[in-house]
Amino acid sequence: MTHLPFIAASYALGVLVPVGFGIAAFLRMGRARRRLAAIDPRAQRGGLA
Amino acid sequence: MTRKRRRLWILVACGLGLGSATALTLSAFSDSLVFFVSPSDLAKDAPNGRTVRLGGLVEQGTVVRSGGPGKPVATFRVTDGANSVKVTYAGILPDLFREGQGVVTLGTLQSDGTFRASEVLAKHDETYMPKEVAEALKKSGHWNPDAGPPPPASTWNTLAGAKQPGS
Amino acid sequence: MNARSVVGTPQAGRSLHRFANPGQFLRLSGAVLPWLTAGAVALTTLGLVWGLFFAPADWQQGDAVRIMYVHVPAAWLASAGYMALAICSVLSLVWRHPLADLAAVEIGPVGAGFTALCLATGSLWGKPMWGAWWVWDARLTSVLVLFFLYLGHVALVRAFDDPTRGYRAGAILALVGVVNLPIIKFSVDWWNTLHQPASITLTGAPTMALSMLWPLLIAAVGYMLTFAAIVVARTRAAVMERRVRGLLMARAASDGAEAPVVASSGEAAPERAAAERAAFQAAAQESAR
Repeated sequence: MTHLPFIAASYALGVLVPVGFGIAAFLRMGRARRRLAAIDPRAQRGGLA
Repeated sequence: MTRKRRRLWILVACGLGLGSATALTLSAFSDSLVFFVSPSDLAKDAPNGRTVRLGGLVEQGTVVRSGGPGKPVATFRVTDGANSVKVTYAGILPDLFREGQGVVTLGTLQSDGTFRASEVLAKHDETYMPKEVAEALKKSGHWNPDAGPPPPASTWNTLAGAKQPGS
Repeated sequence: MNARSVVGTPQAGRSLHRFANPGQFLRLSGAVLPWLTAGAVALTTLGLVWGLFFAPADWQQGDAVRIMYVHVPAAWLASAGYMALAICSVLSLVWRHPLADLAAVEIGPVGAGFTALCLATGSLWGKPMWGAWWVWDARLTSVLVLFFLYLGHVALVRAFDDPTRGYRAGAILALVGVVNLPIIKFSVDWWNTLHQPASITLTGAPTMALSMLWPLLIAAVGYMLTFAAIVVARTRAAVMERRVRGLLMARAASDGAEAPVVASSGEAAPERAAAERAAFQAAAQESAR
């Protein structure tokens, strides 16, 4: 039995799970920052961004 | 501050209660938490016709493969050092299966004392060793894979496949 | 009413609440996050590439041993993430730490993701090596329980209208689940399991070749930094989202107070309408940028 598909699937998951969570987190952070900047004048002055 | 301290103590008390309750439960059900029984367990009290998992090492020189292509049959003895049980299995053995390897088999003990397995799983041990190191150890006579588990890693890790010092 | 009072008043002094100031958290985490992310990407890439292409094949398992470089770090992170969740829960229950509440909410899904990764890669290793995708031995079962604990926490903290009650309930569930951590750790020693015992222990020498140990440790540190970076980023987002909600509510309240009393049209609370208007305006502004 060749093990290559099992190894490839493991590494694909091992990369996709952290990358997926990471990209989702950074997109959400950017969205929250823009919303905050849109309604909070302090955020534009301060160093939140 | 006192409220915080009270909450902390309540939490500690709950933790202690939960912890000891879990410990008691686990020790009470310890027998049913084992995944497999050893040949000695099997010899002590035979499970009459019940399906159990039998675990141990495949005894040296007992593996007999027969049966035609597509319908392989294997017989071997599973040992824990003190006792051993003859196992018959019709099916494809896992890749890691070999003499001296740990296995877990699911099946029933027959009246003639053999164990008819419907499933054989290979059990891997916690030793991770590159092929070259295994070869070097075998060549230098430090380890015979047929005779037992590899020597502790501390004896070969520093050498990392290099020449063995004179022993 | 300003945003500060909505998102928790900072307190001076030597209490834990020194670190509860959301503005301070945003500044601090904003400074740390780029470094954390860079380290996470660098070490994870190094560890996984080393493990996949350069680490030696095992004398028994062959190349399938490479699955370990994903599986073992994911398994460690599954347990370590739960430990972090439990620490946040203690901070939440005892010290009522507002940032711990948000962090706990954000750790849950990430921990569940890493636990699922651990289970999936373990399955992918078990099929070729053991000969079975799954067995109900103590180790595998206790990790599955950990996965369900994460899922339960994720569901429970979001199940209440009042977020504070969700935080409390989630914290209690998380702390009850802590008993599972030693069970996972010691299951392979206490009972016969198909899963092998630990190769790396604090007390003894590792039973693993150094040429395999190094990529494993690097991948593990990389995954740890990745987990931390994801949780910090999510918590930053949560703090900012909470501030947005607080500002909208404050604006709605002041709008409601200033507006003439014409809100006799049914039950629609003027605050609600104003909040919705403000949110709409904010969204419009955002999309116009």
